Amino acid sequence: MFSYHLRLALKSLRRNPVIAALMISAIALGVGMCITTLTVFRLMSGNPIEHRNDVLYAVTLDSWDPAEPKDDDHPELPPPELTWRDAMAMLESDIPSRQVVMHKTGFVVEPKDREDAKPFLVEARVTTSDFFPMFDVPFLYGGAWGDSADENPQFAVVLSKETNEKAFGGEDSVGRTIELDGREFKVVGVLDDWLPTPKFYDVNNGAFDKPEELFVPLSLTAELELPSHGNTNCWKDEPLDSFKEFLNSECVWVQSWVELPTPEKVEAFRAFIDNYVREQKKLGRFQRPLNNHLRQPDEWLSVNEVVRDDNRVLVGLAFMFLAVCLLNTIGLLLAKFLGAAPLVGLRRALGASRKAIFHQHLVEVGVIGLIGGLLGIVIAALGLLGVRQLYDNYDALTRMDLTMGLIAIGIAVLSGVLAGLYPTWRVCAISPAAHLKTQ
Amino acid sequence: MAIRPILSAMLRNKTGAILVGLQIAITLAVVANAVFIIMQRVDKINRPSGIDSENLFFVQSYGYGPNYNHRDTVRHDLDLIRALPGVVAASVTNQIPLSGGGQATGYRTSAGSDTDVTGNVYNVDEHGVAAYGITLSAGRPFTEQEIQYDENVGSKFVPSIIITEALARDLFGESSPLGKNVYDNLGQSAVVVGVIGHMLGAWVDWDELDHVTLHPRIPDGPAVRYVVRAEPGRRDALMLEVEKRLSAADFSRAISWVRSHEYYTERSYRNDSRMVALLSVMIVLMVAVTALGIVGLASFHVNQRRKQIGTRRAVGARRVDIIRYFMLENWLLTTAGVLIGTILAFAFGQWLSSAYALPRLEPIYVVSGIILLWILGQLAVFVPARRAAAIPPAIATRTV
Amino acid sequence: MLSMSDISKVYRTDLIETHALRKFSLEVKEGEFVAVTGPSGSGKTTFLNIAGLLETFDTGTYKLDNEDVSRLSDDARSRIRNQKIGFIFQSFNLIPDLDLFDNVDVPLRYRGMSAAERKRRITESLELVGLASRIKHIPAQLSGGQQQRVAIARALAGSPRILFADEPTGNLDSLMARQVVDLLDDINRRGTTIVMVTHDTELARRAHRNVHVMDGQVTDLQSYTTKPLVRPEALAAG
Repeated sequence: MFSYHLRLALKSLRRNPVIAALMISAIALGVGMCITTLTVFRLMSGNPIEHRNDVLYAVTLDSWDPAEPKDDDHPELPPPELTWRDAMAMLESDIPSRQVVMHKTGFVVEPKDREDAKPFLVEARVTTSDFFPMFDVPFLYGGAWGDSADENPQFAVVLSKETNEKAFGGEDSVGRTIELDGREFKVVGVLDDWLPTPKFYDVNNGAFDKPEELFVPLSLTAELELPSHGNTNCWKDEPLDSFKEFLNSECVWVQSWVELPTPEKVEAFRAFIDNYVREQKKLGRFQRPLNNHLRQPDEWLSVNEVVRDDNRVLVGLAFMFLAVCLLNTIGLLLAKFLGAAPLVGLRRALGASRKAIFHQHLVEVGVIGLIGGLLGIVIAALGLLGVRQLYDNYDALTRMDLTMGLIAIGIAVLSGVLAGLYPTWRVCAISPAAHLKTQ
Repeated sequence: MAIRPILSAMLRNKTGAILVGLQIAITLAVVANAVFIIMQRVDKINRPSGIDSENLFFVQSYGYGPNYNHRDTVRHDLDLIRALPGVVAASVTNQIPLSGGGQATGYRTSAGSDTDVTGNVYNVDEHGVAAYGITLSAGRPFTEQEIQYDENVGSKFVPSIIITEALARDLFGESSPLGKNVYDNLGQSAVVVGVIGHMLGAWVDWDELDHVTLHPRIPDGPAVRYVVRAEPGRRDALMLEVEKRLSAADFSRAISWVRSHEYYTERSYRNDSRMVALLSVMIVLMVAVTALGIVGLASFHVNQRRKQIGTRRAVGARRVDIIRYFMLENWLLTTAGVLIGTILAFAFGQWLSSAYALPRLEPIYVVSGIILLWILGQLAVFVPARRAAAIPPAIATRTV
Repeated sequence: MLSMSDISKVYRTDLIETHALRKFSLEVKEGEFVAVTGPSGSGKTTFLNIAGLLETFDTGTYKLDNEDVSRLSDDARSRIRNQKIGFIFQSFNLIPDLDLFDNVDVPLRYRGMSAAERKRRITESLELVGLASRIKHIPAQLSGGQQQRVAIARALAGSPRILFADEPTGNLDSLMARQVVDLLDDINRRGTTIVMVTHDTELARRAHRNVHVMDGQVTDLQSYTTKPLVRPEALAAG
């Protein structure tokens, strides 16, 4: 019966090719628009460290100005970063199984082997070595520096795959040296491709930027007076005449993450930071109410509003667009089906049951929905290509993965069913005797 | 032509009418709000920056190593740039207007005052005003003697300051700020020597973007930026020239980010221009789908009513009467649609403004949308209506 | 074969009630060829719609082929229409974009027959009406009389127990009308019961028995034919 109904459906579509094209393209455009905006939205709102969401926590302490909150729009939030001295104090705790304290900086790389090559500036991250295992960072060659480099300054560096290609032509450069700001650093590791989207570990310095181009031990910050290249926010009226004063200031610019594998450890560390802040209050710091937070990546991304409102608005509008497309298709289908009511009446008279009529029209609707949906996915692919032009380095935001493909098919199928159900239902209600007398 | 028979015919085909009406309603709601958002973004992107944006470019020099001498490097670089033909003026600068990265600080009207007004700080030298192409509405640019230059200048405030009128208003009200003192957070003072009519700061989404100050100071090393103003049409050539010349000088530093100001504004407004582009595509497609839907449905109705139309013609209706019938029918349908659509549009606008802190939808956009849909509906229905008018009266007497 | 007793059918709109049939009773025996006549508005079409299970009725009982079909579900009625009833309409009601094969195929499709069986029946019935050579034509390529013969082939392909014809010659000229009536007569001779609705008394004369309907009721029973009321071979078959 299916093949018979399929044949009837194709015949019926051919009978009004313009209307058929109209219905199919309406569904395709609606579905395409939705998938395009949803893909961007989903990647923006994705959590690239989902699999470690349960054990990772971003640490925030409210060390801000007693007179006003850091963010007037969100007075309940502490600053997203820590002061240097508080971050150092976090490192004192041995409750977390791993711990990251880090900030952004920059280096000038001086290519040695080639005379004509000019020195170039790279974005760098200064961090404790737990960064790599904690955030599941893949290595191509070598690995992180040893724990000893976290304690005592060592000129060790981990390169991104791109930097390694730029500086060493992509060879295994572990053990070789690279000149940063005129100092020799020893390469201990080279990363594989790694593009966490959004850049969850530091969402306040460009949540959709690429990871840094190289990584060096945190112990070098004080040693080399590495400046902060990320957001640096200060509130206190205090002199900042030297790097030492800067490190001791109330300026926030350091990110802190901990790994706490069990609820007991979470509670213990929460107690630790609350205790720490209470101690500091006695010293005259932290004059705002106790407002410390340990946030898992999911919560961290949402609290920091990584997804732009624009994207939500676009998704909303895209679904309204789909609604218009579906209303359009419903209207056309209804007119088409009811226009063919005499034939339906005839089939009923000749013995077709309601179920058979339902099935026949469902197949027709299914064909329209399927072609429309598939075309919609094609349109979405083109749309994403277009969006990629608009997003520039946001490549990762415009890739369609398997899940998104399934969602796309789901939307397409659901749209076809939604558009077809009412007209099909109406056509089943046609009385067999209604249109037989005269045509 | 009487409206009542058309209305009763529409009521008999309720579902079709409701579907088209709803389509028109949603289209109005979306188009009105989307165009409103687009216009805001376009206004934002096109607002005057107060500087000679199209002739500006920036250069970053990043020094490193023990051999790096900030003072010598800056002096050398600026001398070199200023000597190049085609350069109008050049200055050091700590930040780039509308680039998304910059420095802000609080200013007070008296030492130790509790309330401060935030200003976006440009550290420039005596050529700063000329290099940016800023128009002073009062006072004077900095003189060479005022420029602070000291590696260890640290927390010291500047002796003199130039501020925008917007910032002056917030600090001093309507009285002239010239010659008045402003204070920093440590209670140090600077005297206002110049007033800028209008200039924008670094962050495009900041609501006090016109709160700008100039400090007479050469920024601390090892990183420094230069702003270069070229004669019209010579910017791109000069960018290559400057990059080549500065890179050639061996000063233990990297020359990078030689970019036009357009590069930075384009980058900063990308979120907005993207929104404009995506919304425009959506509006065009939506209007097209709605129009084609009207054409399609009207065509069907014409086909369904062939006999009826033929009969009307047979009893004396002129072609124009048939066309008028369909046009009037469509007008009634569109009107019903836009009535619902108006409510939808304002409800949607209300939700957008409360959920996403967008401004409230202005009625003019809804009114324009209504007019657009009226015209669109009439145009769309004209094609099938003309086909209907071409139905011969003889069809009335035909049986099969 | 067909037994209706005291059937009533009322059509209601907001303003009026129309009593299409009032206590309508009729018996048709197996193998009969009955013509139902009457002026327009007398209830002929309503009778045919109810007899052919296209419409339900309000009161009364209706037995078809010894089965009470008064209160059957929509599905069951569809199945009976499909298996026991054949229809012939005034305006042929062929599907314009299907060829003859596919048109005759329509009722068979709802019967779940094998492809070979369907093909055999379609060819046979088209042969019977003399149109086997036109099997790939579409209806618009045929004359009115040929179209009606295709419709008859469609009605016969399912081997119905009873054939309902509604003004089968109403849209045909007299020559074609004669051919169609001859064909119906032939089919009846082969044992299929036929009930034909017409207002054409000339045509009605070809039936074994005439039933006159007036104001939704059977008014009198009279035979215009010299043939025996029931054919002996049909009785034997029943």
